[in-house]
Amino acid sequence: MEGAIELRAFMGLADTFRERGWSNPRELVLPGPVKGYDLLALLDIPAERVEGIFINGKVSLPPVAVINPGDRVALAPPGIPGPYRVLLGFKRNLPAEGGT
Amino acid sequence: MFYRVNMATLAVSKDDGPQYQGLGGRALSSRIVSAEVDPAAHPLGAANKLVFVTGLLSGTGAPNGGRMSLGAKSPLTGTIKESNVGGPMSTKLGRLGIRGIIVEGLPNKDVPYVLKVTAAGIAIEEAPGLKGLDIYDTAAALQKQYGAKAAVGCIGTAGENKMAQACVGFTDMEGAPTRQAGRGGLGAVMGSKGLKAIVVDDARGRPVSFADEAAFRAGAKKLSGALLAHPVTSQGLPTYGTDVLANILSEAGGLPTRNFSSGRFEGANNIGGETLHATAMERGGKTGHGCSPGCIIRCSNIYKDKKGDVLTGGFEYESCWSLGADLGIDNLDDIALMNRLCDDYGVDTIETGVALGVAMEAGVAKFGDSKAAIELIKEIGKATPLGRILGSGAEVTGKAFGITRVPTVKGQAIPAYDPRAVKGVGVTYATTPMGADHTAGYSVTANILSVGGKVDPLKPEGQVDLSRNLQIATAFLDSTGLCLFVAFAVLDIPEALEGIIEMCNARFGWQKTADDYLEMGKQVLRDERAFNAGAGIGQGDDDLPEFFRKEQLPPHNVVFDIPKSELDKVFNF
Repeated sequence: MEGAIELRAFMGLADTFRERGWSNPRELVLPGPVKGYDLLALLDIPAERVEGIFINGKVSLPPVAVINPGDRVALAPPGIPGPYRVLLGFKRNLPAEGGT
Repeated sequence: MFYRVNMATLAVSKDDGPQYQGLGGRALSSRIVSAEVDPAAHPLGAANKLVFVTGLLSGTGAPNGGRMSLGAKSPLTGTIKESNVGGPMSTKLGRLGIRGIIVEGLPNKDVPYVLKVTAAGIAIEEAPGLKGLDIYDTAAALQKQYGAKAAVGCIGTAGENKMAQACVGFTDMEGAPTRQAGRGGLGAVMGSKGLKAIVVDDARGRPVSFADEAAFRAGAKKLSGALLAHPVTSQGLPTYGTDVLANILSEAGGLPTRNFSSGRFEGANNIGGETLHATAMERGGKTGHGCSPGCIIRCSNIYKDKKGDVLTGGFEYESCWSLGADLGIDNLDDIALMNRLCDDYGVDTIETGVALGVAMEAGVAKFGDSKAAIELIKEIGKATPLGRILGSGAEVTGKAFGITRVPTVKGQAIPAYDPRAVKGVGVTYATTPMGADHTAGYSVTANILSVGGKVDPLKPEGQVDLSRNLQIATAFLDSTGLCLFVAFAVLDIPEALEGIIEMCNARFGWQKTADDYLEMGKQVLRDERAFNAGAGIGQGDDDLPEFFRKEQLPPHNVVFDIPKSELDKVFNF
């Protein structure tokens, strides 16, 4: 669907999708670029339930993420084990301005 | 107390091991092997030794302090090997005051032996009835003979047949042999020594003593508080287990699929922790299962089949991946059956899955054909020529079938994170003295290492420094007897590392600092690398197979591009 993102949810957020009757993955039409926190607000998902947002397979963090129509997006809550929180970029220092 | 068991003379001796004071776990096993085993020795020969050792904190009741280490020269890699395992055995050995059991020599008689370890010492008993039994039947027979509370570690037919990737299976808290010292073929070393099993009964064992018990309790409280507060160790792992990583790694483009030909698997959700959890709950199985005394994290599980009968346990991400995505298989029940068969015959699920992936690449079976994969694993159980090839690991399988895409380092199969998309773990695979091993760089100590904000998984910058620090910290943590997963809380909660240090110091009356413990980690790596050098395995072997540098990995279409000259800087300390 033009303008839609393909949205996935992992761990407890997958349960939330199911409880709400949402498919997983779910198509979601965006009017244009959306910031990470705005996407979560649009989905009515509390910010503290999302540690990282995959955008086309790369981890971004909610304060700096920008999602564009057509993106493949996945929401990952806190709780990802392993050094992969570091190796994949969940655990990082946010840049002073912008960036992901 | 250290025991020496000579399988040639069937003599048992004991001493205080003065040369090994101050060491535990991996530091201890690797020191013993490097000091006492000729690096040129054949791994299945008389000169190799198999050691079972406890960690610095074993038996103390430390949170998640239930790991023990096995060590030897590996028949799979030709390197030194430390393989550690959960279950109650290390706690029981700790309560018996035993820090190490060193098994030497080769037997003169073709009969399985059992080491019976009690407060009275160690007895070597003949057990002809166990010959040819696999691990579940062996454990059941030994529990019937020695009591249900005894902890059992044993080999199956793969170990008896001295297959190079044979593991040693250990019983869990319920007495099921769902825990494995999986990597590196130590089950084959055990088989070469005629040792079918070790059984530990800690009746009349005594509580471990402390130099400062109050300080130990305070340290333990800090660590347990961190583990209970951190979302990884208190929510993610207890609910979904390690298999929660399947969807994450697939999304990141780093889940090796169909013999490392892609980094994303369309069936990832079907084999992931979310599905595993839902299926286990639906069938009356369990997640949030602790594998050893004092386990707070409880990442293990009990998985039942459609009839509600227990099929397997300790069903981890690595196994769901190796027997799943790497083979293009997304049927979790079939993967669970494969996991059970591997645990029963006594082979490493990672090595087996990767070997099968290589065999599928060769056309022995089709990717995605789970029934064919099950039959191939049964060949290992029957020790047919094909089963022996697979039981010798991925590298031998690649040679047998003339395959070039063989994901191994130093002869050991690469685990569940493609090094092209997760480059930091690629550095660890390439350089760890163990052969490809994700757990060799698992411990993240943020407050010391200042990690964060430095690495992009798809770019080479910063990966060598990160891997070096991870390997050093992990080598220390593997020496404590703590589960590596405590490191996840350490990353965010400073009190966790403080607690670990305080517990170690209070146990022995030490005044060591974090830097002192990291020095212990460095020394472990020095010991191991020195042994490997003696075995003819040096810096030239610290690299990934050629195809990782040449074949682009979808979906990010990346190669492993960290120069060899950079890899050679990992051990600059």
